[in-house]
Amino acid sequence: MKKLLLVISIMLSGCAVVDAYLMTHYDPNEYKLVTDIRAEAQIYKSQCDDFATSKTNAIKLANNTNLFVLYSEHIPHNDQLISASQDLHAIAKGLVDQYSESDKVSTGFCKIKFASIESNADIIQKTIAGRPR
Amino acid sequence: MSVEIFQGQLGQAFSSPDPAVQQAANNANQYTEMFKQGQLSKDEYMQAMADIATSARINQSMNDMSNLETLNSAITGLINLASLVG
Repeated sequence: MKKLLLVISIMLSGCAVVDAYLMTHYDPNEYKLVTDIRAEAQIYKSQCDDFATSKTNAIKLANNTNLFVLYSEHIPHNDQLISASQDLHAIAKGLVDQYSESDKVSTGFCKIKFASIESNADIIQKTIAGRPR
Repeated sequence: MSVEIFQGQLGQAFSSPDPAVQQAANNANQYTEMFKQGQLSKDEYMQAMADIATSARINQSMNDMSNLETLNSAITGLINLASLVG
């Protein structure tokens, strides 16, 4: 037992190992937020032909990605997810900005943006699901 | 440098063993074709291409987190084992 504890103590002296040991556990609220974002992006992608609807959808989705940023940002030992939530919000906000600045947003661009949000939310969702419980 | 030269470089990325790199190259190629055909404006094209880099960053963060999860599982297992030893 002493040997095993010695091995663990040596391992715990490594920075990455400490990060791993202290890492944030699974949080169902965080998981729900990113699942909602993914589901919304999936639906909104098919509504890009209608300018007014898409503009409203883009704003709604950016509000939700912002909520995800705000929810995650003060959770300790959560650096990777904080960074990913900020990046996801930046992608969503880019579409809102485009709708604000121009009255001609192409259907292709709208689809690209929602598809990008959907696939990135999927990657984040998978990783959150794998967190220690 | 021409668009064709950069698209040729993208072609090399298609053969990457990393599926994320393949996907990024595929997206970049698709957006470039859409821009060339006038389906995307200049601003839209530039933003879509910048999003590829943002997505790569998300991918990297999530890979790091996934590695920490594996390490956490191993450490917790070892500690649990140690607690069982008389």
